[in-house]
Amino acid sequence: MSELRLVPEETGDGPFSTGTPLPRRLPRGRHGIPEGLVVEHQRRRLLLAMAEALAEHGYANVTTTQVSERANVSTATFYKHFGNLWDCALAAYVVGADGLCGAIEGACAADRDEATDDVPPPDSDAPLEAGIAAALAFFAAEPVLARLLCAQPPREASALRAARRLLVSRLAALLRRARGSGDGTPQPPGLDERMIDATLVFVGGRIASEGAVDLPGIAAELAAILDRSRQPA
Amino acid sequence: MRPEACAAAREALPVETTAPTPDATIREGEMEGALHVVGEHGYRAASVRAVLEYSGGHRKQFYEHFDSLEDCFAQAYSAWIDRLGATVLTVAVAADGWQASVRAGLVALFRFVAQSPEISRALFVEVQVAGGRASAKHDEAVERLAGLLNTVREELSPDDRPPPSAGAFVVGGIEACVCDALAAGEADRIWDALPELMHLAVGTYLGKEAADEALDEARTLLDEHRDTLEGDA
Repeated sequence: MSELRLVPEETGDGPFSTGTPLPRRLPRGRHGIPEGLVVEHQRRRLLLAMAEALAEHGYANVTTTQVSERANVSTATFYKHFGNLWDCALAAYVVGADGLCGAIEGACAADRDEATDDVPPPDSDAPLEAGIAAALAFFAAEPVLARLLCAQPPREASALRAARRLLVSRLAALLRRARGSGDGTPQPPGLDERMIDATLVFVGGRIASEGAVDLPGIAAELAAILDRSRQPA
Repeated sequence: MRPEACAAAREALPVETTAPTPDATIREGEMEGALHVVGEHGYRAASVRAVLEYSGGHRKQFYEHFDSLEDCFAQAYSAWIDRLGATVLTVAVAADGWQASVRAGLVALFRFVAQSPEISRALFVEVQVAGGRASAKHDEAVERLAGLLNTVREELSPDDRPPPSAGAFVVGGIEACVCDALAAGEADRIWDALPELMHLAVGTYLGKEAADEALDEARTLLDEHRDTLEGDA
């Protein structure tokens, strides 16, 4: 892996790099880097480039050429990795969704570990607040991913829309777990999914109007809204 | 809904005072064609040719009315989202009380979506692909609706009010649900979401008990009067 550091690093440890520094391009010519590693790096650069190109050009204008140029690969290389633009967007979406869910799960688990000794009440707000804070921190650190995950994909990108539904289901499951049992009344199915839908649109709107940097500042506000429908009047 | 909010909303409604000229009728047809084509084929695949095939006009005439397809879509979007807003608002302000207004507004929205799925797809799904002026108009409409939902905050004690962003949150949840049904090509399915969306809207402002009641009421309404609600859809 050390060969990859022969070129300047541009991206640190985002979800597309899975902990490995991600150079913008590999050295030309005979570099001795195993082919599998080259291919994997091309793929990761393409995923990052896809998210960046979407953030800049939107779904209306993004093209495979823009993505390839950003990733410093040819369009021929693009099509070795992905069948079309939406396949690439889908792969980027899945990586982003995994990163987001991982961040939330990690924060909630850490919160549970910390609380073990204190034994918090089953309807404690702490896991919910920890999960929301982790999600917003993830979005703030990865603004191009945040836009990708929050936006409604075009109709023709049906697989991407399915991936969004799956993300909503995963986040709804995390919301249920973080909220605990509440008053013990079972929540009718579908309600948490509606809350997550609303949250993604709400956060996406905030990013569009004010950017992603200050998102962690709305954690308390979002927690108050999400928690309200389980509180007595 | 509070009287002053109703008055302010009525003033914002577009009022047509003169009979349309033949040229205005053609222009109107082109705008409807743009929404229809975008809704059916997607914004990326739409073309002036497809619009003219739908509306029956001539290319030269089209470019006398609009600078480009993007301009046509933006103007069409503005006109139709205002009309839809007026329709929803008219039934909402006529209802007795905030919850009844929300429910009546949702029913009017769902009727439109089920009656005109292609145009609705353009208004809710593809506008997010298009961006630009249409997207800005969309954001204005969301803000207006969010403000109307927020009128109920004034009836709550200051300590018991949800944050002002509650309105944008609820509108986002409603819109995401509409987008899902439209993108899946199942516009009629939107009716099934009425109880969940009533729970989301009422719960966000008034808490769990009121939300559970609103959910049950909406379910009963659907069970007993679905045909009437769907009306001439």
